[in-house]
Amino acid sequence: MSKVPTKSFDRSLWVFHVNTGSCNGCDIEILAALTPRYDVERFGIKLVGSPRHADALLVTGPVTRDMVDKVKRFYEQVPDPKVVIVIGSCGISGGVFHESYNLMGPVDKVIPVDVYVPGCPPRPEAIIDGVVKAWMKLERLRGENK
Amino acid sequence: MNLDFLTPYGFWNPIIWLLVIFVALLIAYLIWLRGNPRYKRGTEQTKPFLSGYAPESKEAMRVSASNIYWGFTSALKGYYDFLRKMHTGDVRDYLGWYVGIVAIMLILYILWGGA
Repeated sequence: MSKVPTKSFDRSLWVFHVNTGSCNGCDIEILAALTPRYDVERFGIKLVGSPRHADALLVTGPVTRDMVDKVKRFYEQVPDPKVVIVIGSCGISGGVFHESYNLMGPVDKVIPVDVYVPGCPPRPEAIIDGVVKAWMKLERLRGENK
Repeated sequence: MNLDFLTPYGFWNPIIWLLVIFVALLIAYLIWLRGNPRYKRGTEQTKPFLSGYAPESKEAMRVSASNIYWGFTSALKGYYDFLRKMHTGDVRDYLGWYVGIVAIMLILYILWGGA
């Protein structure tokens, strides 16, 4: 965390988590990042219940047919500037489900993605690293918009 | 001018009450100023969040006041249908009812009023 500029701690990062068709493996690892062992909330990283309150969108799983319009709406409801983090191989490439008849493809075919965290599932350390990278990009975007 | 009221139930002063309202409005304004200014009006960002579903029309989403007494009107449907037929919206009909009822009451009064 020492590489994170001090400016990044100006404001907490509020994250909205979306499961677009994940097997729940990545979701459990996200929860692990919130448990006392990793405790990302001490850095101000917090899961919120609405994309309208969020700075970042955390997406797990490949996008199923039913979730396409919903994930687009989630993305549009996050106020600008915003970042999107994809957690896990399925969201990046479709993973083991890539040939499924019910998939519309990886997440970046539906909405723009800023940070990819590979793994099946990725460890909480990797998720935290991805979130910090997204946070740094968000700070850059906020600086550009000022 | 003394505006204090001291009653057995407590103290009341309208000036203090106005000050309280002013302070409350000031606090509300300061909280409002702390809000996120990044929302773009007229986009999805200002629409309600319904777990990703598109918001329906307000008419379809809101529960109308008549729903509260739906059971009552449903149970007395025959009676209400009869009443609705009488309510034509034509003032001449209502005046006709008024004149007719007054005439009947006058006749009844003339016949038995003095008894």
